[in-house]
Parts: sequence; C-alpha cells; structure tokens
Amino acid sequence: MDKPSIKMRVKEKGGAIWLRALIKHPMETGLRKDKETDVTIPAHYISDVVVEADGETVFSADWSTSISKNPFLFIKFYGSNGDTVRLTWKDNMGNSDSMEKTVGRK
Amino acid sequence: MERRYFLKDCAVIGAMGVACSTGLLTSSTAFATESDPFQATSVAAVLEALGIVDAKASDEIQITAPKIAENGGSVPVVVTSMLKGTTEILTIVANNPKPLAARNKFGKRAIPSISSRIKMGETTELIAVVKADDKYYLAKTNVKVTLGGCGG
Repeated sequence: MDKPSIKMRVKEKGGAIWLRALIKHPMETGLRKDKETDVTIPAHYISDVVVEADGETVFSADWSTSISKNPFLFIKFYGSNGDTVRLTWKDNMGNSDSMEKTVGRK
Repeated sequence: MERRYFLKDCAVIGAMGVACSTGLLTSSTAFATESDPFQATSVAAVLEALGIVDAKASDEIQITAPKIAENGGSVPVVVTSMLKGTTEILTIVANNPKPLAARNKFGKRAIPSISSRIKMGETTELIAVVKADDKYYLAKTNVKVTLGGCGG
C-alpha cells in the first residue's frame, strides 16, 4: 500500500484520550453486483479492529459488512500525554494495517 | 472466523452439533439458524447466537442517531452506556440482511462510548445491546432512511 490506510488523531482532553480514526476500506457487503458484468462483488470488509494504549488493549471490535465504507471510529479512554496508541485493523481477505501515535506529539 | 472470540458459543454449539450428528440427541430446531452471530439473519437469531436471553431495556444507554438519514450508506451513530461495568456494546440494525453490525469490546481504561458510521438498507430499528457486569441491557431507536445503503 502506497498511502497509509489509516488517518488517526489522538488528543488528550481532561484526562481522557480522544481517538478519531478514518480507515480507507471498500467494506463490500457481498450483496452488490457489478453494474456492467452483473457479477456479484465478493464481501470485503474489516472484521477486527484493536486499539492499544501502551500495549494494553483498550478497545477491540468485531465488525460486519454493515459498517460504512471508509469506516470512521471515535472512542475515548483514560490516559495522558506521552501514551503510545496503536490502532490495528484486519479484513476478511487477510489484509491488515496499523498505525502508532504518541499522544501530544506531532 | 477463528479470529473472533466465539470460543464459548462455538464450544457449546459445536458440542451440540457433534451430539446431533452422532445421534445422541434428536435434532434440535433451536440450532437450525447459523451459530455465528454475524451470519444470523434476524435480530432474534443474533441474540440467540450470542446467548442473550434476558436483555432488559435500560434508560442508561444513549443512542444518538438521526431520525431521518438521507444516505443509508453512512449513518452516524453514537452509542454511550452509562451503566457501570460496561464491557461490550453491540449495535444491531434490525432490517439489514445481517443485522449485527458491530461488537465493540471495551477495556478497563476505555470510556464505553462508540461513534461510527453504519449502513442501513431501509428504514429500521436500531438496537444497542450493552453487556455490563455480565448482564445484558438494550435500547432501541428508529431511523428513517430515504436512500438505502445496501445492495445495488
């Protein structure tokens, strides 16, 4: 992948870390058909998302095809500046990506 | 599917499967539906696959979603639980082909609130199920969709 698939922002606000992330992914439902060839497009979606802060899992999710294309995620958890936050996703076709950011540092 | 943490459910249902196939038990219609909650095709089947039987309605769960969604392909939904000891929030879109949209698990440090965007095929009921202290609670809201987000 040329461009990172994840855009992530972590910010400390009142003792909590606000994590906002946008993941670039088609999130195909497996129900759509190609308009020209009429062939069903196979399901292709992110199935697992994990957020870790300093190695501790603070959030994990199993997603289905009902999550929108290019998923957006906003969660909050207790933490402070200097924490290292890592977001990882995996999809049903074996692709994955992750991004790490340190809170309070550009 | 092995990546998902259905070990408990799978063990139970797997054992039932073995029992059925070996003739130890007469075929049980209760397991006629798919055992993976993400493959279930109705809200009742989703809850059954997850082993949720006694979810109580709760005011402590807040669902923020538009009353009318113009684009069903991307409906912003926020679910916040004010219940103590919340470890999981499940979002279920009742009328989608596969209703279970997400199973979000929260660690000790997390604040049990999730915002994301969900697809909705048609006007539907949105259900949030919260697991707190090993008990299940739920809340519902309706979203009117003017342009569907599933199929094509």
